[in-house]
Amino acid sequence: MPSPCACWDAGRVSRPRSHPSAVRARWQDDPASAAIHTEGLSKRYRETRALDALDLTVRRGEVYGYLGPNGAGKTTTIRLLLGLHRPSAGAGHLFGIDAWRDPVAAHRRVAYVAGEPFLWPALTSAETFEFLARLHGDTDVAYRDTLVERFQLDTRKKIRALSKGNRQKVQLIAALATRAELLLLDEPTAGLDPLMEVAFRDCVKEARERGQTVFLSSHILSEVEALCDRVGILRGGRLVDEGTLQELRHLAAQTVDVTFDGEPPQLPPLAGVSVQGAGPGALRFEVSSGIGPLIAALAVVGGDRIKTLTSREPSLEEIFLHHYDGSDGRVER
Amino acid sequence: MRVGTASAGTVLRPALALARRAFRDARVRTISYAYLFVAIAYAQVVAYRDAYPTLSSRLAFAGSFFDNRAVRLFYGEPHDLLTVDGYAAWRVGGTLAIFACVFGLLAAVRALRTEEDAGRMELVLAGVVGRRSAYFSAMVAIAAGVAILWLAELAGFLLGGLSLGGSAYLALATVSVVPVYVGIGALACQLAPTRRVALELGGAVAGVLFLLRLVADTVAGLGWLRWASPLGWAEELRPFTGARPLVLLLPVAAGAMTIALAARIAVRRDVGTGLLSARDSAEPRLSLLSSPSARALRGERGSLLVWLGGVGVFAYILGVIAKSSSSAGISKSLSREVEKLGAGSIATPRGYLGVTFIFFVLAVSLFACAQIGAARREEADERLETLLALPVARRRWLGGRLALAVAGAAAISLAAGLLTWVGAESGGVSISLGRLIEAGANCLPVTLLFLGVAALAYALVPRASGAIAYTLVTVAFLWDLIGSLLGAPRWLVELTPFEHVGLVPAQPFRAGAAAIMVGMGVLAALAALAVFRRRDLIGE
Repeated sequence: MPSPCACWDAGRVSRPRSHPSAVRARWQDDPASAAIHTEGLSKRYRETRALDALDLTVRRGEVYGYLGPNGAGKTTTIRLLLGLHRPSAGAGHLFGIDAWRDPVAAHRRVAYVAGEPFLWPALTSAETFEFLARLHGDTDVAYRDTLVERFQLDTRKKIRALSKGNRQKVQLIAALATRAELLLLDEPTAGLDPLMEVAFRDCVKEARERGQTVFLSSHILSEVEALCDRVGILRGGRLVDEGTLQELRHLAAQTVDVTFDGEPPQLPPLAGVSVQGAGPGALRFEVSSGIGPLIAALAVVGGDRIKTLTSREPSLEEIFLHHYDGSDGRVER
Repeated sequence: MRVGTASAGTVLRPALALARRAFRDARVRTISYAYLFVAIAYAQVVAYRDAYPTLSSRLAFAGSFFDNRAVRLFYGEPHDLLTVDGYAAWRVGGTLAIFACVFGLLAAVRALRTEEDAGRMELVLAGVVGRRSAYFSAMVAIAAGVAILWLAELAGFLLGGLSLGGSAYLALATVSVVPVYVGIGALACQLAPTRRVALELGGAVAGVLFLLRLVADTVAGLGWLRWASPLGWAEELRPFTGARPLVLLLPVAAGAMTIALAARIAVRRDVGTGLLSARDSAEPRLSLLSSPSARALRGERGSLLVWLGGVGVFAYILGVIAKSSSSAGISKSLSREVEKLGAGSIATPRGYLGVTFIFFVLAVSLFACAQIGAARREEADERLETLLALPVARRRWLGGRLALAVAGAAAISLAAGLLTWVGAESGGVSISLGRLIEAGANCLPVTLLFLGVAALAYALVPRASGAIAYTLVTVAFLWDLIGSLLGAPRWLVELTPFEHVGLVPAQPFRAGAAAIMVGMGVLAALAALAVFRRRDLIGE
């Protein structure tokens, strides 16, 4: 399995995915018991390569954020996982089941929220819930009523009379109320207002507490940052980075702001540190490797003149943009 | 570029672009109809000339038809069957006018309501195009399509050797019905909350108008009713048989009035709604939600009832009218000639029913196409994605839709047989119920064949499947009517399944041919299930 981070500097925190020997329960490595496991999963639509040799493992019980801009291949991944589209190469497994070969068995353990809330216009929400629940076979009706309450949905309304956001709620409630082991959510908060988004976050946390695995495809970074245990970043059909937020942070630069009494000192050139002026008596450092050498150098040249020193970890947005800002951010595989 | 200025050109140009867009959207339908118009106009003219070369043969033919009200059902009242021109006016004008009605209705609903349902109209109206110009852009596009149909029919007649002036007038008479049906469709679009309801409303009005003409032409003493239907006006224009061009004022006035009325409503009402707004809330009704097939039945209930009602009414009238078909004055050789023209042996009620039931075979086959169309819509709207992400096997879903189509087709076929019997009994024709139920069931083998083929087309090329299915059925039917007339070799004529239908109750049921058709249909359906299992779901 090629590592997506082959170019990373030495000294990075070792990541479980690229170092299977790391301390970790053995069952987590067993693809058959992973919630999602793909090997070389690829999809080509005529001349477009939508997904390129995706190797992905989502462990049971984790909330996995699947990030990428429009057209990166997020929806394609989910369609392949569900066996709605046929892989051009490779295979995807849900709980060890290849959904292309045996969709029904795989789908019994999954609930899906599609990217677009297309439902049956002539049915009311209540009828839609009933229909989807009977097809799925395992729905917690009491919890569904709670969700209806929480999302403030009028279930007597027909789908055709609902706004996009409200139709999205119908889909979400139907999926969240199942006892499925895996929730596959494709941009689930598109069209939801901020209040409903809060309600959605609560639901995902509850799902995690119940032990459900959540695969959250999104391009809303704050949502992923708030909810996800691990994050994968997709670009042009390839997984360019993956890990916990902590692990991902090491990739993008950390920002260190220092203010001095009087003129800032001259620092010797340091590997992995770039210096920017930031107003009179202040310096800003973008540190892309360990912070230690910078601290040591600062102590030598002007330790007694430092007034303030603040350091800020990169936000997910900065990590994300790092992967999409052209050549220097590109991570080759 | 300056902000905040708009000259006349910047308003007219988008309206024209809109009209061009609407015309382009309708191009497949326009081209298909144009082919149909050329083919029927040409083939009927040539065939009549070949089959009845002499005046005496035409006299005999005319005599048999003039008294036979039953055959007027489809084509209207003949005024002169002694000349090729007169025959063309009756037979071609009568047939194509019906097609022109359907064209007008579909075109209006497509250009107005489908755009609105898809939300595209909102986008357009948010731009510089006003409601009135958007509406009339659609009308301009439809007018362009009608002009093409007129040219196509004219070309068919000219190829068949008719005179230019007369042909142009006859073709004009045929398309004269279109403005009225466009107006009806446009009005239905203003009233109905959705495209489907608009089609049903417009279709119901068109059906009533057709029935009026049908009664006018077949029931003695009610000829004046012809003036109540646009199809009657097209007849009263009397192409080639003492033209009365002033009658043209009627469809023009009626079309202008309905189109203008619809325009008035269109500029006033809320976009995306109809005057008859549907109820948006309801207490849950939990019946028919237990499986995808049950839900499909729930969704198709309305359309199934419309089909049953339409076919039932038509079958009843056929039954009543069957009595008036008589053998008086029809010689054996003439019957054979009539048969060649696709009219069959119409001398007896039994024979007449046998021939007309072929139209039910056509209707039920079209119902099967519509069912595959509904399945495709479920996929195109991406609802199928939600469905198949549940523990629902693809085989179960498509198999269920096919079973629903078969059950619906069977119900419609049997209703046709039963109501024909009721009509025949009340009309005073004694014919056994069993025999007419058999005639109804006889619709099914061809239907199953087309259902299987349509399903296979759906599995292989989902986006084109509707066009393929409808085209196959229509072409096969027309080829049955005109193939032999054109002197095509026997084997070529026999390619169409309609050729292999025994004309029950006039002829015995052809079990062998039926078994082969059912077998082919089943094979095609199985292939469809296998192919569908292995392809990507494809949206709009």
